Amino acid sequence: MSYIVELAEHIQATSLGVALAESSYAFPLIEGIHLIGLSVAVGLLFLIDLRLVGVLFKNVPAIDLLRQLRPIVLGGFAVIFVTGVLLFWSEAATVIVSPAFVAKFIFIAIAGLNALYFEFKLAKQPEVLENHEVLPTNVRYAGLISLVVWSLVIISGRLIPYLP
Amino acid sequence: MSSTFEILTTLQNTALAHAIAKSDHLVGATAQVFHILGFIFLLAAVVFINLRLAGVVLGNQSIPSLSRQPKLLIWGGLVSAVVSGILMFISAPTLYFYNPAFIAKIWILVAAIFLQFTIYRHVTNQEKPSPALAKVSIVLSVVLWFGVGLTGRAIGFV
Repeated sequence: MSYIVELAEHIQATSLGVALAESSYAFPLIEGIHLIGLSVAVGLLFLIDLRLVGVLFKNVPAIDLLRQLRPIVLGGFAVIFVTGVLLFWSEAATVIVSPAFVAKFIFIAIAGLNALYFEFKLAKQPEVLENHEVLPTNVRYAGLISLVVWSLVIISGRLIPYLP
Repeated sequence: MSSTFEILTTLQNTALAHAIAKSDHLVGATAQVFHILGFIFLLAAVVFINLRLAGVVLGNQSIPSLSRQPKLLIWGGLVSAVVSGILMFISAPTLYFYNPAFIAKIWILVAAIFLQFTIYRHVTNQEKPSPALAKVSIVLSVVLWFGVGLTGRAIGFV
């Protein structure tokens, strides 16, 4: 653990880390872009989840929603990733010790595994590929898990400065 | 100016404001969580409707139907963000009121809500809205709602 903290201190002390942390425009701007990327990627994912669960867009084939929103969701995730790395760079030593930061990454891992299982297993079922209004129970659960776990990612992310 | 400051100071000295300010810092954090989750739900629905309006996704689905369905996310998200936002504001009104990012955010928010009730509602109620008007609505909607997010996120840093 002390090695990780030391490494984080090194990252934060690099010239890029210091420049980002000390710039009065860069840091808030990157924070803002991180938030907007989140609204696009995780936000659209929430809408897809609500379709899978059976709350919204029941008249829209799930497969259309999945296929057509995918590039935009992935683009949003690319934005979150890049801005997230930059934010981490500028405050690595501060956030690494926050339990909320650790929790956030555990939830991201769970959400990622859920997404992979859905993508490579559940989404291959005929009910998903064909146009069914109500989807199989396992698909509905995957949607619900995604909704809950991504919400936990956002909540723990927002709590990072509050739980040092 | 001094009278505004007096009103803000009075607000800051109310029992509710004291209760929020003196509460455990996790009460403030909870308000932040509702603020951000509400905003994300709102923005997700707005982005989705804009994507359909632009013809990027679900071109074979009806615009009015797709715009109506996530309405609860827009207004529910807005209520969650506004109520939690008011609680945050009450706890330190003199701090927020003169913050340039906060002032910008409120004006942009007012413009965004106005757009939502006027041109945007008109455009999304039509099966085939005029492409020019649709384009204007999309640009204004994205600029204003993203603007609310960017200026809002900057409040703590200016």
